[in-house]
Amino acid sequence: MTTRVSSSPDLKVDQVTLTVIDNYLATTCREMGIAMMRTAYSPMFNESLDFSCVLFDKYGRMISQAEFCPSQIGTIKFTVEWMIDELGPDVYKPGDVIIMNDPYRGSGHIPEHTLLKAVFHKGEIVAFVANCAHLAEPGAKAPGGLAGDATDIFQEGLRLPPLWLQREGIPQEDIWKIIFANHRTPKTTYGDLMAMVGSLNVAERRLTSLIEKYGLETYQNATNDLIRIAERRMREEIRQIPDGEYFFEDIIEDDGVLNIPYTVRCKVVVDDDQITCDFTGSSLQAAGPMNGTFAVTASAVYNALMHLTDPTIPRNEGCYRPIHTIAPPGTIVNCEFPAPLVGGNTELSPRITDIIFGALANALPDRVPASQGGTSCCFLFGGAQPGSGDLYSHFHFEGTGWGGRPTKDGNSQIIVINGNCRNTPVEVFETRYPIRVESYRLLEDSGGAGENRGGLGIERIMTMEADSITVSAIFNRMTVDPFGIHGGKPGKNSGIYFRRKGSKDWETFSNAFGTTSPSKFSNITLRRGDQVKIIAPGGGGWGDPMRRSSERVEADLREGFITPEAAEHDYGLKAELDSDGNWNVTPRIGRKDKS
Amino acid sequence: MTNYRIGIDTGGTFTDLVRFNMSTGEISSLKVPSTPSKPLQAFVGALKQSEVPLNNIEGLVHGTTVATNALIQRTGAKVGFICTAGYEDTAYIQRVNRQFLYDLTWDKPTPLFQSRRNCIGVNERVNAKGEIVTKLEDADIDRVIDHVDAGNYESLAICLLFSYLNTTHEKLLANRLRERFPNLPISVSHEIAPIWREYERSSTTIADAFIKPLIQNYVSSLKSGLADAGFIHPWSLMKSNGGLMNADAAALQPIHLAMSGPAGGAVASQRVSALLGLNNVVTIDVGGTSADVGMVLDGQISYTTEYEIEWGIPAAIPLIDIKTVGAGGGSIASVNSGGFLQVGPRSAGAVPGPICYGQGGTNITLTDANLTLGRLNPDYFLGGKLQLDRSLIDAELGRLSKILGMKDLELALAVVEIANENMANAIRMVSIERGHDPRNFALLAFGGAGPLHGSAIARKLGIPKVIIPPYPGGFCALGLLMGDLRVDKVWTQSFRSDRVTPSEVVERFDVIADAAAIELRQQGFEGEPTYEYSINMRYLGQNYEMEVVVPSLRSTNNESAKEQIESAYEAFNRKHIAMYEYSMNEAVIEMISFKVAAIGLIQHPKLATLTDTGTQITQTRSVHFEMLGTVPCTVIRRKSMPVNVSFEGPLIIEEDGSTTLVEPGMKVIRNPYDILILEVLK
Repeated sequence: MTTRVSSSPDLKVDQVTLTVIDNYLATTCREMGIAMMRTAYSPMFNESLDFSCVLFDKYGRMISQAEFCPSQIGTIKFTVEWMIDELGPDVYKPGDVIIMNDPYRGSGHIPEHTLLKAVFHKGEIVAFVANCAHLAEPGAKAPGGLAGDATDIFQEGLRLPPLWLQREGIPQEDIWKIIFANHRTPKTTYGDLMAMVGSLNVAERRLTSLIEKYGLETYQNATNDLIRIAERRMREEIRQIPDGEYFFEDIIEDDGVLNIPYTVRCKVVVDDDQITCDFTGSSLQAAGPMNGTFAVTASAVYNALMHLTDPTIPRNEGCYRPIHTIAPPGTIVNCEFPAPLVGGNTELSPRITDIIFGALANALPDRVPASQGGTSCCFLFGGAQPGSGDLYSHFHFEGTGWGGRPTKDGNSQIIVINGNCRNTPVEVFETRYPIRVESYRLLEDSGGAGENRGGLGIERIMTMEADSITVSAIFNRMTVDPFGIHGGKPGKNSGIYFRRKGSKDWETFSNAFGTTSPSKFSNITLRRGDQVKIIAPGGGGWGDPMRRSSERVEADLREGFITPEAAEHDYGLKAELDSDGNWNVTPRIGRKDKS
Repeated sequence: MTNYRIGIDTGGTFTDLVRFNMSTGEISSLKVPSTPSKPLQAFVGALKQSEVPLNNIEGLVHGTTVATNALIQRTGAKVGFICTAGYEDTAYIQRVNRQFLYDLTWDKPTPLFQSRRNCIGVNERVNAKGEIVTKLEDADIDRVIDHVDAGNYESLAICLLFSYLNTTHEKLLANRLRERFPNLPISVSHEIAPIWREYERSSTTIADAFIKPLIQNYVSSLKSGLADAGFIHPWSLMKSNGGLMNADAAALQPIHLAMSGPAGGAVASQRVSALLGLNNVVTIDVGGTSADVGMVLDGQISYTTEYEIEWGIPAAIPLIDIKTVGAGGGSIASVNSGGFLQVGPRSAGAVPGPICYGQGGTNITLTDANLTLGRLNPDYFLGGKLQLDRSLIDAELGRLSKILGMKDLELALAVVEIANENMANAIRMVSIERGHDPRNFALLAFGGAGPLHGSAIARKLGIPKVIIPPYPGGFCALGLLMGDLRVDKVWTQSFRSDRVTPSEVVERFDVIADAAAIELRQQGFEGEPTYEYSINMRYLGQNYEMEVVVPSLRSTNNESAKEQIESAYEAFNRKHIAMYEYSMNEAVIEMISFKVAAIGLIQHPKLATLTDTGTQITQTRSVHFEMLGTVPCTVIRRKSMPVNVSFEGPLIIEEDGSTTLVEPGMKVIRNPYDILILEVLK
């Protein structure tokens, strides 16, 4: 839809052709995704869309992406670089497909599997196509893979270095057999991996026909030009941010193994046309799985800065170049082998993004929101289907509230910023798994109070409908609040609670089962009739709630987004329901608006 | 006595009427301005202008964008949403994903109803096997009734969990509410969209309820207006899937009118393709603000159920698979924040319109660019009804060119090129994305601006042949006369290929086909219906189905039923390969839903063959092309173009409602049906 305008001497391809090729590449990524969604087996793929499809040039530089999972898009850059480096040149043949999921080789965490295929033109490699997807079952100690109390990487699933899944179009049965023998749900793994392979073939065919149409030289010049344009525009954007050093830190409340807090600290240095995010001073790596690898941390940094800069910049290698990450080895933001890390990608990643937002709150006051709810609310479960005895496992997650924004409230109930997954419809969920969802509703008062309120979280209550279901969890923000900014109040915490069949009372998993952490644990056996309640947090508020107009407070009361108690307590407005059923508030007395 | 069939297509800007003389086969068309605030006025006005005595109208079919506009502009009713308790927020929670990555200013779409307080939960529950686990009690229905009583709703939507498996509770609730509130429109999810996924089903049902009072008023006002004028015969509306529905029936499930407007064009495309013996055709309808892209595949229109009113607000109705992009004659060229030239999706619309209309437009549009390049005739736009003024464009064109460092003509070319690429991308999305190579297709281009861009779009996609039908400007209205009465029924129940017996499938089809036939008769069809059968299938474990057409599976013997089911499995495997590059022939196949369309065939207009082609009128004017520069280009009037004579491009063919551009490197003939066929020169 757009074309580059000012022709500059360093660009080799005309503007219109560049636009056409850029759109074509992004469309190709979308097509790869649709092929995956429609053919895959697990709801993680086909409902949640927890996957990403990305194109690379022959050197492994990213040339295009589409609207997938930002954390995967960030890490796949490292994953593909690593795979190409480790395997070396000249090893690929047409029809080869390579698989890898090792977090110590650039993958976000073990459940995320990357598939890579070289694209050939007249016998030469001209591009790589790759996709990355979260398999619902990676063969970890806990069904669903996210063991909240893992103490090393080996408990987090089957680790695959770069391996040939397919050679010249022929499936490598040895590799498939090893994978099938280690995953609890091999049929689903098979269906999902086949969907991924099919999606690479779609991309290969599309790229080949693009190159045939324009010729190799124009194609390569165009991708080089697009990278140059993206880099130049990103540098221009960064130049608009006032130079300086900006600080922020936040706490990860515990790690599932030790009940101690970890600090994530960041110094953001804006220097003319580049930005460095320096995490020196962050805590040493955690005993439990809250660690991030360098790729996870760098990916979160990219994600934060992509959100704060012009979204029309082409998303390729170039736009990442002016962004640098410093993460000392051995810390929670760059853990060393064999530390556990499966929760880093779901929990640390959004936290890093919020920390960078927090750091830049005063530098970019018209763009930066308060903290989002900021946890994926990972709830994992598995077992045997009543009746057939087939094994199943699933990774369930929730959206959270967005933080209040400089000009408006945060959106309610949106997936964390590091992903772009959809929820699993209850009718699909209950058809696939022996758990009934009793309710799934927005949670009033969960959005942090502010001149611009944080978005709402949700409450979901589920009843187990099998004699035995094994559950695990990785939540955050259960004790550390989603922060508000510029005087806004924090959002409501997350939570995961248990109610034994027949009991009236909800209790934490620590109380009921003695888990070290109430929010991170694995392999708890629940019985038929037991219930689980999930609370997804709201976002923090932006600005002093006393400056929120009474009309907006009345609207929130009318919609049930806040209670009358909160209107009085947080907003200083006494609320009364009139005889027509409308809420009216009496104006603030004895308080002065700051302005 | 001469009898006529009339098609009236009401769009946002113009109302097109097509008149078909059933004795002579003569077709004529006319265009009047739409009157959005008083739709009856343009409708009756067009009828009067057509000079057909009302008694001589044998059939009247209407296509309208009134439902689409009400949905998009959110001018529908106050809806009460009744759902399973615990799920009151379904329409707010939605699917929790974001439309764009990296955009903190994005707002999640809000539901079509106005307040969260309009959601009423009822205590009941059906499980995933379709079993009632919590019975709906009378006391709870009474509570809902009280709530509705107090709510002043104009319309109700009911969507209970798993109602596609067990309709008992929805029926009970709907019956009690209909008894108590006989004048209140009620939309029930298992009637509107018996599909799984509670959000998609709720959203569809809510959308139906949202526009129901409005459509009921619309239909009854047209009815009484027609009655006042002396027309008392039944008339039909075209549904989003191209089938016709008696107007009274349409008012009961108005969501099916969501894409009524463009459906006529798709139906006409299918008929014209068949006339030419073309099995695979991509269609593009380019109007003032948008381009609609569709497909004819193996001679059939392709359908989908994935319509979104806006991003994130689905209406899962069967509709002709049409992809709309914001590229039309009024699309505005601008420079975006990154310094990039952009065309659309913003449009100057009909008012103020392109700068050259001289009605106060200030932005360069695609039409302005085409005029600059000499591709439009300023003296013969809309048959000369609108004088275009080239001189008005210069200042703004010059300003933009300067910003972009281009010459004026280069900029005009770039605007056209980008618009063409946007339209070509839309075609890629409906073709390649679904596994079809556009190079094996012909391109059928219509709408006022389609014929001007058809050959360039085809060139981009490697499509060798472009078809410009007769009446390209009023083609949707012509299509209204080419539809058949149609009732669609769906039965959702899952069967596995390793467990199902053929007789079970046959029974399903018997039940739904009979129900469809009864409804068809209720709509006044007296002949013998024809049927289309299909099954939605997937590999066991997948979540998305593919629709596979099956031959008749009714009251047939077990042996042949078995054979037919087997061949349906094979067809599924083949389709899976075609779309996704692989199949799993050993895997268990799951049948999810069974569909029947009962079709009442009616007489369609046949395009008359041309006898007199008149005298060829030829002019020449300067037209700018990228490869040739500015060159003299032959211009002919379509009416005067000799039949079956080949002309080479560059060539411009003008007619009242449209202009066809034949690019250099292509040739064109006008065939005896007045269809223009453009082909790449060998």
